[in-house]
Amino acid sequence: MYADNVIGDKLIHKPKFILGLLAVAFLAFFTFNLAGTMFGEFLRPVIGEPKESGLYGRSAVALVLAVLFVGNLFLISFANIKVQVAIVWIELLLLFLAFFYSFNLKFSFIQSKIGFMITQGLFTTLYISAVSIAIASLIAIVGAVAKLSNNGFAYGIASFYTSLFRGLPLLMQVFLIYMGLPQIGYVIDAVPAGIIALSLCYGAYMTEIFRAGIQSVPRGQWEASRSQGFKFGLTMRRIILPQAIPLIIPPTGNQFIAMLKDSSLVSVIGVWELMFLARTLGQKEFRQMEMLITAAFIYWGMTMVLEVIQSRIEKHYRKKGQQ
Amino acid sequence: MRLYTKLIAGAIMASVSSFSPVWAGEALDRVMNKGVLTVATDANWAPQSFLNDNNKMDGFDVDVAKEIARRMGVGIKFVTPSWTIITAGKWAGRWDISVGSMTPTKARGEVLSFPGIYYFTPASFAVQTDSPITDKLQLNGKTICATTASTYELYLQHDLTIDAIGTPPFKYDVTPGKISSMKDTSTCLNDVRLGAGVRVDGMIGSLPALVAAKKAGLPIRVVGTPAFYEPLSVAIDKGDTEFDAKLGKIIAAMHADGTLSKMSMKWYGIDYSAGVK
Amino acid sequence: MSNVNQKIAPDDLVISMQGVSKWFGAFQALNDINLSVKQGERIVICGPSGSGKSTLIRCLNRLEAHQKGKILIGGIEMHQKMKNIDKVRQDIGMVFQHFNLYPHMTVLENCMAGPNWVRGVSKSDAKDRAMAMLERVKIPEQADKYPSQLSGGQQQRVAIARSLCMQPKVMLFDEPTSALDPEMVAEVLETMVELAESGMTMICVTHEMGFARKVGDLVVFMDEGQIVERNNPTDFFENPQSDRTKLFLSQILSH
Repeated sequence: MYADNVIGDKLIHKPKFILGLLAVAFLAFFTFNLAGTMFGEFLRPVIGEPKESGLYGRSAVALVLAVLFVGNLFLISFANIKVQVAIVWIELLLLFLAFFYSFNLKFSFIQSKIGFMITQGLFTTLYISAVSIAIASLIAIVGAVAKLSNNGFAYGIASFYTSLFRGLPLLMQVFLIYMGLPQIGYVIDAVPAGIIALSLCYGAYMTEIFRAGIQSVPRGQWEASRSQGFKFGLTMRRIILPQAIPLIIPPTGNQFIAMLKDSSLVSVIGVWELMFLARTLGQKEFRQMEMLITAAFIYWGMTMVLEVIQSRIEKHYRKKGQQ
Repeated sequence: MRLYTKLIAGAIMASVSSFSPVWAGEALDRVMNKGVLTVATDANWAPQSFLNDNNKMDGFDVDVAKEIARRMGVGIKFVTPSWTIITAGKWAGRWDISVGSMTPTKARGEVLSFPGIYYFTPASFAVQTDSPITDKLQLNGKTICATTASTYELYLQHDLTIDAIGTPPFKYDVTPGKISSMKDTSTCLNDVRLGAGVRVDGMIGSLPALVAAKKAGLPIRVVGTPAFYEPLSVAIDKGDTEFDAKLGKIIAAMHADGTLSKMSMKWYGIDYSAGVK
Repeated sequence: MSNVNQKIAPDDLVISMQGVSKWFGAFQALNDINLSVKQGERIVICGPSGSGKSTLIRCLNRLEAHQKGKILIGGIEMHQKMKNIDKVRQDIGMVFQHFNLYPHMTVLENCMAGPNWVRGVSKSDAKDRAMAMLERVKIPEQADKYPSQLSGGQQQRVAIARSLCMQPKVMLFDEPTSALDPEMVAEVLETMVELAESGMTMICVTHEMGFARKVGDLVVFMDEGQIVERNNPTDFFENPQSDRTKLFLSQILSH
């Protein structure tokens, strides 16, 4: 967004605003009676037994929380923006962890299962997604070229393909491929079937990404190459795609991150990936919550790592373009 | 999610069922040649089948499957496709048998064969521990809880047909004064535990579920003999009569020599293999 | 390919346009153009914007397709079904208004690409040739930079060097100085003058009348898709025949 070069007074430094915010925060915390939560426990010395503290306990908890919230905002406002972001992240993360902690999770159970979740679940998820995104990229290049071509046959196939596979739920494609292919004589296992379904589905989406990327390369690049006598394939490979790829990488990274999570759909055909194990491992001991939360953190961590990698790649291409 | 999955699978099966490849006679050969029996079962259904502490398949169904493979003289391998895919049939040789507590309904009989029933789930009545009721007949005219649209509710309405092959006959010996129709078994259990007559006087549900609830500490008591039984069978793809006959023999033998009742005792603490006797 | 030298026209005709017409939809961009270019000749095409001069030059290497008439390049007719278009294009260098350098490649790589990829020149020979051409346009020190690091004038000189590396038989310039800041026009024109003096066959669409006077053998004035007037530079500027030419000259020379 556009940041102006004139800085006004910070709202949070105005006494009136602080008081108003305090009032709003107090009312908000008061509305949800928080005396029965761990905040009430902390205030036990002041309000006595939280459950019996009544209106007094409720307002005391709300007041303390409101002061903490506004005080926090006020203090953060003095830091520079990087520190602000870091503090907010840490605070939200702690709140999030406290939220899970309040579930009374059995950490020894998580400890006993997390190894298997990673070696079997995470590995399978990553493996399926990585192979699928590679195949999907190849499909997308071919699809994009076909969609941009003047050949009616190629355009027809490519547009039918993207229309069909973008138009069906991925889950249905998984079923269609797993159960449908054997009907015409090709019996494939669950993992290859899942990879085919993910590749075809994401290939369809990525065809559009690649098409837009290729189209964004200026016409003059084609004219310069053709006027030098470069044939179509050479122009595509050496001139157009290298310029399109920096534009294609960010949305493709997003697709990969989305695919990591969509790959959980192949659990319906019995692939032991992360989601499958998250639902299965805790079932016998009624510890589903532990496994779901563990899987959630694995997915989240994996996504964050990928986001870092993606931004590195983006930076690399941006640098190259600006040199 | 479940319903969505089912709808999609159903739509697909309807569209591909016009193709009907022939696998006849080859299932048994395939198993014997490979030396491995590939078993489809659920990994998410304790105590029938689940992943144990060592992350291996375990449970009642798993033990039954292992015993079948042992008696065939082959090794065993488990796969875990979703229930919808298993019951849809046309397995294309991906796996050879389902040992997954399947009720052999006539609709499923169109695409699958059921070589042998290996146990029965009884439906029973339960009351709160302190209730004066000691037999199911005393529940006549009382308020009884059941899961909406379940076989249990249909039984209370005297409108139950289990079209499963091999269903033992039953009679309607309880007529409730009022049916309390709830969304699942645990809701009924919670109403029963409140005490006799508070919300309901008793409930009807699957015996293994009632036993498990009791074990988990709920103040309930099973009363009377089971109302009816649902048979549960192994299933194979339609077409290989040899395989069918062989499995039938193995399961009959497992009934006869007490293997199944031993396994049932191990996993449920009750012998469900005998059924009505 | 054997017909490349089969139909060499008389007088070393490099380019011959006979009754060429072109339409964009209903709009007629070229109307019965006849033009011949001999080996070593320098032609300057001028005219108001929308007069069809760029379209004409782009038809010569078939970046645009004409619908009527005949275009012969080195005796080969340019038409829809020709098989050897890439070979013909390799012999026609083209310099664009917006340079169209390949932004993901260094200056040196831009110059090496053509010879190495399609002319069958080895990498090291292509590099030698590229350096020689960069010397010729006086920017060898920029060889390892990327186009975006250069000024407009430098970029256009690289574009000229890139074309020269293909050792073309003829060079087409499509308004090569129109997109440049005024102070950079001179360095590009200087390069073009030197090229002209070396004997290169050139067709230039430009408004740089000084350049036309200095090196042009023939000035062609176009308006509304037609060639209105053609003459040697001296007569063209001193003694224009048509009213449209006079008006045009008065407009561009009055500044």
